[in-house]
Amino acid sequence: MHRLLPLAAFLIGANSLPAASVSFTVPVTYYKLPNGLRVILSRDTTAPTVVTAVYYRIGFRIEPKDRTGFAHLFEHMMFQGSPNLGKMEFSRLVHENGGILNGSTRFDFTNYYEVLPSNKLETTLWAEADRMKGLAVNEENLKNQQGVVGNEVKVNVLNQPYGGFPWLWMPQYANRNWFNAHNFYGDLHDIESAKLGEVQAFFKTYYAPNNAALALVGDFDLEQARAMVAKYFGPIPAAKVPPIPDLNEPPQTKEIHASRKDALANRPALAFAYHMPARNSTEYFAMGLIDQMLAQGDDSLLYEELVKKRGYTGSISGGINYPLGDMFDYSGPMLWTVSLIHDANRKPEEILSGVDSVIESLTANPVEQKLLDRNVTKLRGYLYDSMTQFAGFGRANLLACFALFDDDPVRINGLEESFRKITPAIIQRTAKEYLNPANRTVLTIEPGAVKGEK
Amino acid sequence: MKSLAMAVLICASAIAADKETPPPGGPAKPFKLPPTQDFTLPNGMSVTLVPYGEVPLVALRAYVSAGTVHEPAGQVWISKLTGQLIKEGTASRSASEVAREAADMGGRVEVSSETEFTKVGGVVLSEFGPKFARLLADVLRNPLLPTPEIPRLKADLARDLAVDTARPQTQANERFLQTLLPDQPYSRLYPSAAALEGYTLEQVQAFYKANFGARRTHLYVAGKLDAGLRPAIEAAFRDWPGGSDTSVPPAKPVSMRSLQLIDRPGAEQSTVFLGLAVPDATKADFVALLVLNALLGGSFTSRITSNIREQKGYTYSPGSHVATRHHFAVWMEMADVTTAVTGASLKEIFYEIDRLRGEAPGAVELKGIQSYLAGLFILQNTISPDAIIAQLQFVDSQELPRTYLSDYVPKVMAVTPPDIQRVAEQYLAPGKMTIVVVGDKAKVDEQVRAYEK
Repeated sequence: MHRLLPLAAFLIGANSLPAASVSFTVPVTYYKLPNGLRVILSRDTTAPTVVTAVYYRIGFRIEPKDRTGFAHLFEHMMFQGSPNLGKMEFSRLVHENGGILNGSTRFDFTNYYEVLPSNKLETTLWAEADRMKGLAVNEENLKNQQGVVGNEVKVNVLNQPYGGFPWLWMPQYANRNWFNAHNFYGDLHDIESAKLGEVQAFFKTYYAPNNAALALVGDFDLEQARAMVAKYFGPIPAAKVPPIPDLNEPPQTKEIHASRKDALANRPALAFAYHMPARNSTEYFAMGLIDQMLAQGDDSLLYEELVKKRGYTGSISGGINYPLGDMFDYSGPMLWTVSLIHDANRKPEEILSGVDSVIESLTANPVEQKLLDRNVTKLRGYLYDSMTQFAGFGRANLLACFALFDDDPVRINGLEESFRKITPAIIQRTAKEYLNPANRTVLTIEPGAVKGEK
Repeated sequence: MKSLAMAVLICASAIAADKETPPPGGPAKPFKLPPTQDFTLPNGMSVTLVPYGEVPLVALRAYVSAGTVHEPAGQVWISKLTGQLIKEGTASRSASEVAREAADMGGRVEVSSETEFTKVGGVVLSEFGPKFARLLADVLRNPLLPTPEIPRLKADLARDLAVDTARPQTQANERFLQTLLPDQPYSRLYPSAAALEGYTLEQVQAFYKANFGARRTHLYVAGKLDAGLRPAIEAAFRDWPGGSDTSVPPAKPVSMRSLQLIDRPGAEQSTVFLGLAVPDATKADFVALLVLNALLGGSFTSRITSNIREQKGYTYSPGSHVATRHHFAVWMEMADVTTAVTGASLKEIFYEIDRLRGEAPGAVELKGIQSYLAGLFILQNTISPDAIIAQLQFVDSQELPRTYLSDYVPKVMAVTPPDIQRVAEQYLAPGKMTIVVVGDKAKVDEQVRAYEK
């Protein structure tokens, strides 16, 4: 629990296709409290449960420069004590009321969430409001969580083959702006150097209602929920939150190649990543479809070429914001990344020639409408699936992100339409502009010890 | 030494006057398990339909009794090779056609070869449920098992083998099961690369013939159900030959204290697995064991996690669980701990086991865990179509009556503090536990030697 990694889309083709025979509309009530807290209520009476999700607009991207990994370490501290709940009491309260909880830190937000029987909504709102009010932690708590987080980095990265590949390492090679390019899990030294005063200052700076969204999904009464939210979150004062720094990446002008040795790995691996178009642009939605077309499922073109035809690997994995999230839950520069593990008898150049031949099939001619339709259907399946994941937590995730980043959670119901507008010509144009080598970073993993290391 | 749990409770009551008390919430809404529709086709295939939810998706999962435990001696992973090969086309569809047809329904055909089952299925848009049932039937019934794909699939499995076995948790798990269940199908997890290389089409065909058939298959369907689904399933599977009956080899565990150390030079952490065989899901004490497990190590607020994570900071993700197989269960604690505190972690884990064996837990602590499990039960049976399927499949595969599910929460709530102590005393004997440590031998050998006996 309290992890960096997550647990934890639509329709078509200009005028050529009929609307989907089955569709699904998410009920959304959206408003702001006077203190600026964005509140999204979405009823779903399938089960007598409720998801409570609090999202703060502070991700690891903009953590302090001399404190890599700090945003994530801080997330752990939010479980260590608040004005009315001592260490372990928050978790215990949720458990003894029949619920589960977690938190995670991502590029552009940190979230905290619980799933409980729906009659316990008031209990969880009180508890989340309590820790939005203040952080009651001491040196001992910090030292303890520095140990826990250090162990988290060890178990997920340092003692694992392919530990940071490609998710932690790729952004560090592909990006130039520190905010996008640093080690966001954190150097162990930085994690260990964090001070209690910094923890308190971070809370005061970013953990304010006007920098947060609260999403409720589940079986509750709308008016009762509104009243409870006002009662517990209403009195929390707003704070002056600093503007988000300039996150822009300078345009990449030529292909980047990077290689790492991995003493724990016994097969080489390769990943490639392209910078994404600006979020919510036409090309961004086209890239969502290109990701489906090229890399999602065993009908995808890269799977056909690299797995089935050339036999370089048994599987490919990847996506937009992969694997920390998807194309919807970030706000800033982003990569579309694909990775695979292969045998030593294959050279990276061979694999890349396979990749390029697939990409050329998108740039040379407009894709067939049938291919596009299939991938819109896949995206639709993906979107529905992600909305049902984890008792509706997936839905809360989209709603909270769209409230925080766009001030518009209702757009959850407009996504299908945005993909529906993408034509073969737009796919071709987007592939030409974004899937070119000058926009690409290639990262390879070589098995074996780093020189000088035992 | 006072436990953290006790410290928190004392602290909470001492300052209750100064702090707000959490609002208790309203009365619980009634929870009813989703109703199921169960039927058996004339050829012996079982089908369970669970209409559930509002989102237009449906999950179909066929569980075929064709797992690694059914592999002939010397053919470890022949089930995986078979599982990969059945995706490579049918008598009437190429592999690409299978993949594209599923994609046109918004899903994919997923095949996973597990210990006791090969699972074949997927999640598709609900309007395509009947069509997907027909596609799955074709994949299950008429696989081409094409020879030309075998070298590529064997190379993929060889790569998976190499990558999997480089992970410390995989190494610990394999040794743990080998020690607990020596020379038995349940502990034969990985083939040698050379054996894998030698597998033939004839072996795949033989495995398929012996294990795939209607009588060894249970199809579970959950989600928004199309009206045409049941007729489609009946038509697509009705004349699949029944094949042989299911049989699973009994597990014969060793009950003896042992310590295995696997060297991982330079490792920053030690991967610790420890545990032993316990009464299985059909036994009277099973539910009490689940409660004990949640209290001891199986939840975030459990004693072991409170101790070695939240008090000491030795580890990130410790956890215990009761792993179940057919009429067999193992209790185990797993933790990846910083190398320098490997011995100290073992000390604390055994301290918590011994403490529970020596003293019944407090009523408040136990009540908290019981309420947690009761709430969790609602989630386990509603959180997603696949979660619903997993619950039902567990009950069915253990040959328990479905009333196991409706009886579960009352049974959980009926467990008393003395029950917990008795069950801990009776079943969690440290003297019978298998311990495996994967770590830097030069640094941990001395730390762990004391736990050999």
